[in-house]
Amino acid sequence: MSQTVTGTAKSSRMASRHRRERAADIICLVLLILLALIVMFPIYWIFRSSLMSNAELYAYPPAFLPPEWRFSNYTETLKSFEYLHFLMNTMTILVPAVLGAVVTATMGGYAFARLRFRGKKFLFTLCVGSMLLPSMVTLIPLFIAWSRLGLSNTYWPLILPHFCGGGAFNIFLIRQFVKTVPRELDEAATIDGCGFFRILVFIIVPAIKSAMIVVGLLKFIELWNDLLQQVTYITRRDKYTLALGLNIFRGSFNDDWSSIMCATCLSFIPGIVFYLLGQRYFVEGIVMTGMKN
Amino acid sequence: MSKRGMIRYNRQETRAAWLLLLPSVIGLICITYLPMLASFALSLFSWNGLGEMKFIGLDNYIRLFTNDSKFYGSLLTTLEYAGISVLGSIVYSMIIALLLNRKVPARGFFRAVFYLPYVLPALAVYLGWKWLYDFNHGFFNYVIKLAGGTSVKFLDSSALVTPSLSLIAVWLSGNLIVIFLAGLQNVPRTYHEAAEIDGANSWQRFWKITIPCMTPIIFYNLLMSLVSNLQVITPALSLTKGGPGTGSYFMCYMLYTQAFKSHKYGYGSAISVILFVLIAIFTGILFSTSGSWIFYEGDDRE
Repeated sequence: MSQTVTGTAKSSRMASRHRRERAADIICLVLLILLALIVMFPIYWIFRSSLMSNAELYAYPPAFLPPEWRFSNYTETLKSFEYLHFLMNTMTILVPAVLGAVVTATMGGYAFARLRFRGKKFLFTLCVGSMLLPSMVTLIPLFIAWSRLGLSNTYWPLILPHFCGGGAFNIFLIRQFVKTVPRELDEAATIDGCGFFRILVFIIVPAIKSAMIVVGLLKFIELWNDLLQQVTYITRRDKYTLALGLNIFRGSFNDDWSSIMCATCLSFIPGIVFYLLGQRYFVEGIVMTGMKN
Repeated sequence: MSKRGMIRYNRQETRAAWLLLLPSVIGLICITYLPMLASFALSLFSWNGLGEMKFIGLDNYIRLFTNDSKFYGSLLTTLEYAGISVLGSIVYSMIIALLLNRKVPARGFFRAVFYLPYVLPALAVYLGWKWLYDFNHGFFNYVIKLAGGTSVKFLDSSALVTPSLSLIAVWLSGNLIVIFLAGLQNVPRTYHEAAEIDGANSWQRFWKITIPCMTPIIFYNLLMSLVSNLQVITPALSLTKGGPGTGSYFMCYMLYTQAFKSHKYGYGSAISVILFVLIAIFTGILFSTSGSWIFYEGDDRE
């Protein structure tokens, strides 16, 4: 008898807690939707402005929906904004740089994770330590060095550095991943007569493919956003990247916000497409960058 | 290789390791540590990039601290920007991560939404926001006028330009959310269950369990966003050109203009060294206090 009484009391307490939890979940969802709307709003506003005429943009109060969907704005903008040309230039830098970073970071990360050699600790400390060094400190000497080599105003200063390990962070990331691959696999391969390089190519690389994709994606965003290096090294217009091209376009269309917003939206596209393609890896990878310390 | 049980290094293994690490070693030497030392050296010279280099000792530094009217403005602007951006991004991304950590539908979709700004090209983002901030026709001023206020010059007033740019930095901090979320999912459930049995409410559990377990992640995010925000340059480069006044004259932008526009390479290098020291001081403070507020699992300390 008494058992059933405490039983029902307990279950009703459980039920009330359950209800409270559900209410909290709903409040959280509402908050999330609100915040998501706020965060997306600037992008919507930019897109909406790209579909309006300047007269419509300057009207008061502003229209939340374009009165007329002027997709012709885009064809007009593309006449003076050399989008494809700039995009090709950007890719000419990004593709080799990203590949170089992924390959050399994988090599370095593997060596740090698996191989034993004299000086490893020291080298690893140097490597991790460089993560905290401000890259701005190297800007001036590197610029002078590249100019002395006669390579400023080419893409080499923007590409070659990424063939040097792809940055300490990425080496570190790969190392953490290689450490999760069971050592027995390496050992079995060694018994079968594989050397270190073959182990890397045939055992490690297939096992850490997703980490390599993550490194590639992070590198892509990093370079994509790096206006400073591009401004420093590229001065000739035919070599302009998307960012530099957009900057010039903005300058020559001072108050034509409709065209500027078109060009801005066009520049958003590759990033969004890239992100949608690699989204799964992005999330996975960043999850691991934060965790594996 | 002494006898006292030290590791015997395999010659082949050593050779393979150094071969594999060759690109990284070249990178560490040629594009990180040597240029850094070169910056230190260059800061002691006066040089326009073409003529003769003149050794002037600490004159560049003395001039910066005593005779450059814009230097302190630049320093303050940088600190203000980094302070607002770092705190703003950490709080914002922590809140979003906490919300996403609940049982909500379409979690992947929301995560994508909050992460999206981070993958957009920086210059385009700043251009878009410039339009939102526009004095006459911008959205924000529309809202202000709707609320009965008068239009505000967001980017053209030296007081407001830094907070306005910081707001964009917070908007762009989606990557922190994903890292926080990963950390939250690693907080052991058993801790929460045990606390619940002891009668702790969710508020107490948040402060006594979630936050302590998250301190290593908070530290990591704090450190990384501090280092990157102190090196801010893109908004000045793309939008504000340092102005108005020294309102957005960030140290990196000052370095850039001194070196590449005025061709004062020595002077620019001195600024980069000061920035280096500044970042070293902040990282030093963070690391030295970390022991007292970071909680590591399996650590018995209170």
